[in-house]
Formats: sequence, structure tokens, C-alpha cells
Amino acid sequence: MFRIMIMVITLLLLSTMSLGQAAGSGDQETIRLLVQRVKELQEEVHVLEAAQSGSAVEAAQPTAQHEVAEQPTISSPSAATPPRLHELGGIQWRGFGEVTYKVLDQRQPELSTFGSTPGSSGNFYTGDFSLFLTSRINDKASVLSEITFSEQREQLFEVDLERVLFKYNYSDHLRMSFGRYQTGIGYYNTQYHGGRWFLTTVDRPLITEYTHQGGPLPTQAVGISTTGLIPSGKLGLNYILEYGSSDTNRPHLDGSPGGDDESNGNHVNIGLFARPDAIPGLQIGGSFYHDKISNVDVHDTGRFGQTIVNAHVIYVGHGVEFLNEGFLIRHTEQDGTLVFNMPAFYSQFSKRFGRTRPFFRYQYLNTNPNSVFEDILLRYGPSFGARYDLNDNFALKAQLDHTLRKGKPDLNGLQLQLTFAF
Amino acid sequence: MRWKWVATLLLSWACLSLSDCAFAQVGDVAVVVNPENAASNLTLPEVRKLFAGEKRSWAGGLSVKLIVRSPGTHEREVLLKLLGISENEYKQYWASQVFRGEAQSEPLVLPSIGMLKEALGVYPGGVTLVHAQSIKPGMKVVKVNGRMPGEAGYPIH
Repeated sequence: MFRIMIMVITLLLLSTMSLGQAAGSGDQETIRLLVQRVKELQEEVHVLEAAQSGSAVEAAQPTAQHEVAEQPTISSPSAATPPRLHELGGIQWRGFGEVTYKVLDQRQPELSTFGSTPGSSGNFYTGDFSLFLTSRINDKASVLSEITFSEQREQLFEVDLERVLFKYNYSDHLRMSFGRYQTGIGYYNTQYHGGRWFLTTVDRPLITEYTHQGGPLPTQAVGISTTGLIPSGKLGLNYILEYGSSDTNRPHLDGSPGGDDESNGNHVNIGLFARPDAIPGLQIGGSFYHDKISNVDVHDTGRFGQTIVNAHVIYVGHGVEFLNEGFLIRHTEQDGTLVFNMPAFYSQFSKRFGRTRPFFRYQYLNTNPNSVFEDILLRYGPSFGARYDLNDNFALKAQLDHTLRKGKPDLNGLQLQLTFAF
Repeated sequence: MRWKWVATLLLSWACLSLSDCAFAQVGDVAVVVNPENAASNLTLPEVRKLFAGEKRSWAGGLSVKLIVRSPGTHEREVLLKLLGISENEYKQYWASQVFRGEAQSEPLVLPSIGMLKEALGVYPGGVTLVHAQSIKPGMKVVKVNGRMPGEAGYPIH
């Protein structure tokens, strides 16, 4: 009998506890909902007040006749709402800039140091200042452009139309772009464009550096780029198909005079990558690029077939960024037997802790001295540092680099960068 | 007497489980679309791809229009959890999507459920997340993994 009483009491206590818990959580939830509702009403009042004052007449009353999405005033009255693209006469725009201080332990500067002046081991530079414009034509079509003001030597700037694209999204399976685009070689060049505000690190990995800043890949081209989903269920396969001209004129990365006009022919680029449903944030893929180039260092008129193969494994999610890409650049003489195989890779890992994101990167690039990349040669080494986001528009970055170079002294560098979006 | 102890434990477990279920259902967030949208069931990965801007068309070719709540709301927290990113990363992500030309514009941000409902009526391809307890008449709720909000195993909360 005593045991039965204990059993009943235990049962009652547990039931009461669970009911109490449910009731407690229910009360808390009710309070939370009420607080949320009050906030909503306050925000609606703000919107209505703004509308009354004439600055957002249409914001509070979205109707079928007024496309509420395109009214910036809807999201602007509340401090809680995020900044959006600025809009001017149907053209949305944003700007990205940077100010960087770079100091090296060598007095012989390299081109990728932007405004470096010979004899100076450390200097400021403003890098790229990018203006991004986009205009929606209809649900399927839009125009996009990126205009960059790049600092050259001695505070001289040049204007470059980095991208200008007419985009048409027929469906998820076929999205087309016509114009000047960044070639879909691998992940980084597809993902990251002019604004360094988007980069975790201060600079791009050397293998993906822009051609006009000494990088070996044909990073930009004029032509047609298509991409889309391949019906593949949970595998999430996507394709990239590109055809165009990626004619490039590369300055020497080591700062030596002259440059290389590769006189590239039209290129074909085919890419395939998977974003499996099972692991959101994971991307595994590769690309195959082919064109023909000149190498005046070997032959005045000889042509080489250029093939660039890429493989990548990327994970971005839950505060982690883990980028791994490998490249093989192969130059094959058309009327001869010369073949240059030039491998490269980089691996970058970062993890977010609040507003701080420490990172580590290791890169390797090895080009042949008889190839058109005779100024690059063997370079490898680690970089590490951190990015700190002051707010949604400003970020500070610090990066230490140690680069080992074939036939030259090791290069140690410190870069401090303030990058911003507006 | 042993069976009584077993029964007690089972009953206690049942009580605790019921209270847990009730707690989970309180936080469920529904996927709501324009009433004319033919979609009735989505998988969780599809919902994730929708709100990440990777799936941009509904079956039939209708363009997806993303509508989201402002920061600080339960729906926003669930959205960030769904995408596995922070508020700051979310803003950077969408700025990057637009900058790369992957999206025409950032998702439309609206502060209240009433405005969400109105916007859904305006955009045929509109989709948003709404706290299950805030669903209003006229809103079309889509099943996720074959389950409606409040049902056991509903994945978005």
C-alpha cells in the first residue's frame, strides 16, 4: 500500500512538474509574443508617421498597384532593419572601398603591392574603389555593372569596367549572362569580385589574383556565361558553360619592366559542382578551361594551347569558412614539343567568434621559367591574421605573410586594411 | 509490483514528452506563400535553398520573391538558424549575392505580419516565414517534409 502511495505521489508530482513547465513556457511565450506585437505596432506607427510626413507615402500601404519591394522607405524607418542597396531612378547602387597599409622586409617592391614605390618598404594604398550598379528590367532580366578605380603607381588611378552584364534567368536550370564577366575557373574567381570588403583576408590568393595585377589566370572575359541547376535530386549539381574572349595583358608580378600580352584566343570553360542537401554549405566541384596563347619569350609567333584544370572542396557555414582549391595550368606548344605543367593550390580556414574572424591561409604556386609566367616562379608560404567587423559597413583586417621565393629572399609582410561598404 | 514501477516510469516519460512537444510546437514557424501559388509541400533543403536565394523559380517558372521579417523577431532568428549564419553574415551574404549578380535584389524586409500578408498578396511568387501562432486567415501555409506546423516532427522552429 505504501509503495502504491509513493507511486501515485511520484506520478502526481511529475505530472504537476510537466504541466507547470508547459504553463511556464506558455506564459513566457505569451509575454514574448505580446512584446513582439508591441514592437510591430511601434514599427508600423513609425512607418505611418514617415508616410504622413510625406517621405514614405506609399510605404505603409502596399497594394497591387505599387510594388512595395522597390520602395526603400519600407525598410528604412526602423533602425532594426538592415541597410539595403541604394536606389536612384530604378538603378540600385553600392560602393566598396579600402585603405591599406602594407610593409615588407624587402625594399624591392612587387607589383601586387599596388602603390609601392621603389626604395620604400612600407606604404599606404587605396587599392580598388568599386561602384556597383544594377537595374532590374523585369522578373527575369537585369543589367549589372562594376566600375573600379584602381590605384596604380604614384597615386595615379585608372578606371576599369570590371563587369558589365546583361543577365537573363530563364529558369533555375538556365541563367545566362552576356558581356564582361569573371571567368568561372574554380570557386574563388566565381565567388569574389572587386570589393575587398567581401574577402575574409586582406588580399586574394596569388593564384586567383586579377590578371591586370599580375595573376596567372585569365580572370575576366567578354562573352557568354551560362549556369544553372542540373536535375540531380539531393546531390544538387550545377553547371557552368562559358565561351568568350579572355585576351589578357599581364604586368610582371615581380615588378620587372614590361609585361606579357598573351593574345588569348577564344576560350571554352566548363564547370561542374555539387551542393549536396545532406551537408548545407558544402561545395565540391571543378572546372576545365581551354584557350590558345602566345609566348613571345619562347617564340615570336608560336602559339601554345592553355588548359587550366581546377578542383575544389569548399565549406562555408556555421561560422566556418574552409576553402581548398587546386589548379594545374598546362601550356602545350602547338608546333613543337614544349610542355609546361604548372601546379598551384591554396587552403584557407577561418572561424567566426562574434565579430572577429581569425584566418589562416597557405598557398603554393610554381611556374616554369620558360613559360609566359617567368616572373612568378616558385612561391609558397603561410598567411595568418584576423578580420574584425566594426559594424555592417566597416571592417578592419590585419594579415601577416611569409612568402618563400625561388632565387630571391623570403618576403615577410604585414598588411593592415580598413575596408568599407556604403 | 515491478510492472507498477515500469508503468510509473512510462507515464512519467509520457508526461514529460507531451510537455516537450507542446514547447516545440509553440516555436514552429510556417512557410507561407501567395494563395495562388500551386506549391503545397516542400522539403527542408528546398526551403533552405529558397531562403538562400539558390532556388529562384517555382515549378512553372514563376520567379521567387523572398519576404522576411526584420531583425529581432522570432521568424528572423529561425531564418538565420535555417541558413546556419549570423545576422551580420546574413547581410554580407545578400550584399554578396546581389554584387555577384546572383540575385536582383536583397529580400524584402517588412516589420509586421500584417505587411507580410499584404506583400504576399502583391507578389505571386512571394514566400515568407511566419510564426505558426501569428498565421492570419487567407495565408497559405505550405507543408514542410509533409508536415504542417504544430505536427510532430515539423522541422522549422
